[in-house]
Amino acid sequence: MDLAIKDISRHLGKFIATILGVGLLLTIVFIMNGIYRGIIADGIWLIENTDTDLWVVERGRGGPFNEQSRVRMDMYKSVQATPGVMQAGPFIVYAVQREIAGRSQQFSIVGYDIAIGLGKPGRIIEGRQITAFHYEMVADKKLGLQLGDTVRLGVHDYRVVGITKGAVDSGGNPLIYLALPDAQEVLYQMDNQAIYASRAASLQRLLNAGLSQADAERMLPLVSAPVDTISAVLVRLRPGEDAQLVKDHIAKWLYLSVFSSDDEKNLMLEGRVKRISIVLGTFRVLLLVVSIVIVALIVYVLTIEKIKSIATLKLIGASNWVIVRLILEQTLMLTISSFLFGYTMAALLKASERFPRTLYFLTFDTITIFLIMLVGGILASGLAVWHALKAPPALALGG
Amino acid sequence: MPILQVEGLRKVFGEGALAVTALEAIDFTVKKGELMALLGPSGSGKSTLLLCLSLILEPTAGRIIINNKEIYNNGWTNVDARRFRRENIGFIFQGHNLIPFLTTLDNVALVMTLNGVREGDARKKGMEILEYLEIAHRADFYPSFLSGGEQQRVAIARAIANEPALIFADEPTASLDTERGFKVMGLLKRIAKEKGSGVITVTHDHRMIDGFDTVYELMDGRFVK
Repeated sequence: MDLAIKDISRHLGKFIATILGVGLLLTIVFIMNGIYRGIIADGIWLIENTDTDLWVVERGRGGPFNEQSRVRMDMYKSVQATPGVMQAGPFIVYAVQREIAGRSQQFSIVGYDIAIGLGKPGRIIEGRQITAFHYEMVADKKLGLQLGDTVRLGVHDYRVVGITKGAVDSGGNPLIYLALPDAQEVLYQMDNQAIYASRAASLQRLLNAGLSQADAERMLPLVSAPVDTISAVLVRLRPGEDAQLVKDHIAKWLYLSVFSSDDEKNLMLEGRVKRISIVLGTFRVLLLVVSIVIVALIVYVLTIEKIKSIATLKLIGASNWVIVRLILEQTLMLTISSFLFGYTMAALLKASERFPRTLYFLTFDTITIFLIMLVGGILASGLAVWHALKAPPALALGG
Repeated sequence: MPILQVEGLRKVFGEGALAVTALEAIDFTVKKGELMALLGPSGSGKSTLLLCLSLILEPTAGRIIINNKEIYNNGWTNVDARRFRRENIGFIFQGHNLIPFLTTLDNVALVMTLNGVREGDARKKGMEILEYLEIAHRADFYPSFLSGGEQQRVAIARAIANEPALIFADEPTASLDTERGFKVMGLLKRIAKEKGSGVITVTHDHRMIDGFDTVYELMDGRFVK
């Protein structure tokens, strides 16, 4: 006779309420874990999905993702001339917030030289790559755009010719790919008032330097802000080339910093992702501990409620194993049911695609959480087992 | 032939100046089918005696033989207490002590499954016992849905399920009115005669004395009558 199942079926409501409570806590654990893995995946997505061997950025900068990097546009030609380099292409990336598909959305624009192809979108699920030098875009599905839609960025309309899925920047925002000149235009385009203010400031600097009004106005275009910088130069090496030699050469002769894709990933993981990982990791551990403590408390309370019945069982001759099995089975059922409920809720949330952040569930993490809950629950039920075994049979006698 | 033999049983709690003698020079026997009453005020040693006979509390000295097996002779003999209890002793408690999350039938079947009987057989025999005690119509009810008298009959059914040589009943009529108390006493008498068990009943209830075959009264740890 399975006493644990009999007890549970007698108190089904209480048991289900407990499973819902602990299960929802575990849902939060799964989501925290999903966010943590999602942040890592998002953080390195663009690095992993850009077909390049080296990232050449402004000297001394950890760009182009962790901090801003400005490299002169024509520098990619110098990089191209470096021994060992098969191909080099300009690359620009920046975050913007604009009205798209009827709502204000944050996203990143990636600009690349469509003739060279380095930096182009990797996984197009619908449509094609950008082939025209202007006014075409590839957008991620998350933005809610369809093939053929037009989007106004700045003063021009851009037609969606390709759709990607899961293309995100390090913050998890969707990407829009544009041809490099378009991306630069959107980035550097200024409002008329801003242009007037900038020109007035430049003019004043020239006048302050002693130039006449006529000379200052003539010189004005020469001192205007440059609009031809890029974030990085992407490099593909010749087969068999030593990447370190090429990196050293570029750093030494072009005064730029060079990172491999692995370096970029490490920069990302050690920089922006690390702190949030610690925060989320702490919450995950705390929530797991809380879940185990709740399971332990519930099992303990359930046992204490039954202590006279347990004493009666001992008096009528039940072995210790019958009593231990009763408690352990309830612990296992509570833990496993809560785990399954928690996982199902988290999986449903992920499948609904309504969650604002990328959620990644790894089998390894799921198994680890399950094992921690299982072992933690069993260890925590030890207190209840100890109390039950300590209960004297004589407790059953008397009124 | 005695089912229970107790010789020179003594129980002392504590040592030296703090020693308290709870039982002294207890000698008695219970025969097959005998219904014995154990009377006495609170603190007279009734519960201590019952605990010693149930192999829960170790006596200080003396000898106990149950169903021809010596279980205590100035020390426990080599006996598995819980196994011995479930095979030889049935318990009826003042508060009934039915397992609240088991139905009437499950409560009765449980003690048989603990003794190794297959669950199906235990349930079949459990129903027969419930019919014998005229409570079979409540077989699927949980204890909380039974009256006090019905709960006591289920407790009796559980106590006799393994056909024990001895049944210990601790104040079985204390929580019942006179009519139900007499019914329970009648049942115990019937069981003692029909099943051949020895029944020791601890009671304060002088209304029921007439129904017993033998009556012992304890006072300060000694039999006075």
